[in-house]
Amino acid sequence: MSCTEWHNRIDAYVDGELSPVEMAAFRAHAEKCAECAALALSATESKSAIRRAATRYSASPELRARVFASIKAGAQAEIAEVKPRRAGFADYFSGMWPRWALAVAALLLVAAGLFVAANRRQEAKSLAEFADLHVANLASANPVEVVSTDRHTVKPWFQGRIPFTFALPELQGSPFTLVGGRVAYFHQEPGAHLVFRYQRHLISVFIFRETSQLDLPVSSYQSQASSFTLRTWTQGGLRYVVIGDAGAGTIQQLMELVRSAQ
Amino acid sequence: MKAENSTGDFERLAMPLFDSLYNFARWLARDESEAEDLVQEAFSKALRGFASFTPGTDFRAWIFRILRNTFLTSRTGLSSKMTESLEEGDEAVAVAVTWETPESLALASATREALQSALERLPVEYREVVLLCDVEEMKYREIAEVLAIPIGTVMSRVARARKLLRQLLADQGTRPASAGKPGQS
Repeated sequence: MSCTEWHNRIDAYVDGELSPVEMAAFRAHAEKCAECAALALSATESKSAIRRAATRYSASPELRARVFASIKAGAQAEIAEVKPRRAGFADYFSGMWPRWALAVAALLLVAAGLFVAANRRQEAKSLAEFADLHVANLASANPVEVVSTDRHTVKPWFQGRIPFTFALPELQGSPFTLVGGRVAYFHQEPGAHLVFRYQRHLISVFIFRETSQLDLPVSSYQSQASSFTLRTWTQGGLRYVVIGDAGAGTIQQLMELVRSAQ
Repeated sequence: MKAENSTGDFERLAMPLFDSLYNFARWLARDESEAEDLVQEAFSKALRGFASFTPGTDFRAWIFRILRNTFLTSRTGLSSKMTESLEEGDEAVAVAVTWETPESLALASATREALQSALERLPVEYREVVLLCDVEEMKYREIAEVLAIPIGTVMSRVARARKLLRQLLADQGTRPASAGKPGQS
C-alpha cells in the first residue's frame, strides 16, 4: 500500500479497527516511513487529547440521586406485590420465639462478631499491603511495564515472568479499558498487577498464587478502608484482589468480569 | 421475584454508565438543564423497556441508543435535523479524507480549551461520533448499533469528523498570519 492509502487508514488504525494482517503491514510500513509513523503517532495523541478534553461534564449529585431514586421507585412498585407474604413469615416467627431465646441468639452473635473481628485484624494487614502496592505502583514512573489495551498482548507478556497463568476478560461492552500490566511482588512472591481504567479511575487487579503467607479471607470479601474499595477471592489456586478508588459497584463489576473470564 | 431481579440487573448495568451518559447528553444538547432532562427521560425509558433488552448483548450500546433517540426527538434534536444533512456527505468522504501533517500537528498541539471549542462547533452528527469513538472508546460495531447505521458509514463518518476537527483547529490558528479556508490544508 502507498503512503496515501495508509493515510486514509490512519483513523481505523488508531481506533484499533485494522485487521491483524493490516496492522502488521502498517507497522512494517511505519518502520520504514517516518511520515506515516509521525502521523500515526499524532493521530494517537489526538485521540487521547480529545478524550481528555471531552470528558468534561459530570452530573450533579442531585440528578444522580433523582435518577437512582426513580429506579428504586420502579423496583419498590414491583416488590410491593410480593411483600405481604414476607411480613406474614416475620410475624409468625417473632410470635413463636420466647424472649430468652432471642437473648441467647444475641449473645451468640456478639461472640461470633468478636471471633470474626480477631480474624479480620490479621487480614486487614494483608489488605492494607495490597492498598500500598496499588498506590506505590501507580505512583511510580512506570506504573505499567507492558502498555496495551489489548488483552492478547498483555497476557502473553507475563509468560515466563510469573509462575502461573490466568485469563483476561473481554472488556468490550463494559465500561473498563485495560491500561497494561507489570510484575508485582508480595511477600517475595511474583504475581501479576493489571491496571484497568474506569473513567478517570485506575483500578488494580492483583493475581498471586494462593499461599498461607497471603493470610487473606478465604472467599469473596469486601473492605472499604481509606476510601479504597477492595474485593478479593480465590479461584483455581490463585488469589485475586481488585482494588481502586472507584465506587463499590464498579469494583464489583470488574471483579465479576475477571472472575467469569477464568 | 423475577421483576425485582431485573430492576437489580438494570441498576447494576446502568448506574456505572451514568456519568458517561450525562457527559454525552451534555455535549449533544449543549445545555445543562436540557441534558439533565435527557438523562432522566432516557433512564426512565430504558427501565420501562428493559424487558426488551436481550441479556448478554451490548447494554452500553443499547442505552446510548435510547439516550440518543431521546435527544433526536427533543426540541434541540429536531432543530438540528441531523438525519438529513448526512447521506451524501458520507458517500463522498471515503476517498476524500486523509491525514496530512500540518493539520495533524494543529490538533496534537491544541489546548484543551481550543479542542473543546472546536468540538462545540462541530455539527452534531460529527460531534456525536467523535464522542462515542474517542471518549467512550466504542468499537465501530458498537457505534453502528447506537446510531443504527452500517459500520462502513461509521468508519467514514469518524474519519470525516476528525478531518473537520483538524481543519477547525488549523484555521483557528497556531499560525496567526494564515487564514486558510476549511477544505484546504
